[in-house]
Amino acid sequence: MKKPPQVKEDVTCNLVPMIDIMFLLLLFFMLSADMTQRQFEDVVLPAASMVQTGDDLLGNDQITTVNIFHRPEGGGFSCALYKNAVCRDAEHWRYAVRSQEFSAQTIREQIRIEAEATMEQDIDPVVKKRMSARKVLIRADSGAPYGDIQRVMLICGEVGVYKIEVAAAEPPKA
Amino acid sequence: MSGASIGDNDENPVAINVTAMVDVIFCLCLFFMCSLHFKQVEGKFDTWLPKGKGTEGVGSADQLIQEIRVVIFWDANLMQAIKHLGARRVSSDEELEALIKEAHEDSLRMNKPDMPVTIDADSRVPWSTIIDIVNLCKKNKIDKIEFAMGAAPQ
Repeated sequence: MKKPPQVKEDVTCNLVPMIDIMFLLLLFFMLSADMTQRQFEDVVLPAASMVQTGDDLLGNDQITTVNIFHRPEGGGFSCALYKNAVCRDAEHWRYAVRSQEFSAQTIREQIRIEAEATMEQDIDPVVKKRMSARKVLIRADSGAPYGDIQRVMLICGEVGVYKIEVAAAEPPKA
Repeated sequence: MSGASIGDNDENPVAINVTAMVDVIFCLCLFFMCSLHFKQVEGKFDTWLPKGKGTEGVGSADQLIQEIRVVIFWDANLMQAIKHLGARRVSSDEELEALIKEAHEDSLRMNKPDMPVTIDADSRVPWSTIIDIVNLCKKNKIDKIEFAMGAAPQ
């Protein structure tokens, strides 16, 4: 028996609209990607309605951002207590300046170095010594123990930094 | 011709095979999608340290009258902050706000507009609790806020 001749069907897929959309998506993601050196760690900042927004937080070069965030050993958010923002294990809370992590002991040295690099020209008439012109921005997680923020403030006072700012997030608008 | 291409072989002899390009764009899209990070709107509070004042003790009872002192303890069993205004225990933020407002109005009546709100908190108290009080003070136009500093936590 003779086989019927096979009909070849030419099925082509028009990819032009898909490529157009993918180019647009690529452009969007490329433009919104933040490839700068991260001064800011991922922290859940406490919300405050009266916080001053609008200013560029890093508009001035003489700002040191001290991030205080929760990161248990082994990475991730594996600590059950963190979910209720009450983890009080001192080992789980870290300090970071320009993506470099510090312990409670080594953060003092880092702040001292940064403070001494930007000392004011004139001797302060109140304290009779040169103070640091550097600002320290403390970005602490909303669940961070107050003692960690206290420590940074005390160190700043000791090394001559008096311009301190604390970061907070604007609450979402209803 | 195998693979997807732009152009019809019959009409246009120069057809472009776009399969490889689509693969690469897919990979790039995936990379940028994964690295996408939405930023929250951030702001700051200025908390400049007093020059040359350093940390000082509370001193006499008379000195305590010169400030509105918010004391916050940490209950390790209940895992919550317990707030006091002076010696009085406060059960809610609304009550605390009303008491701070009242104390501030009293200070204005006594002609002491610079009477500060001093936040004296346990080192284990969550930072959000402190910021709530700072926010509450700012809401009531109290700009002089002080942090009581105990011994540095070990």
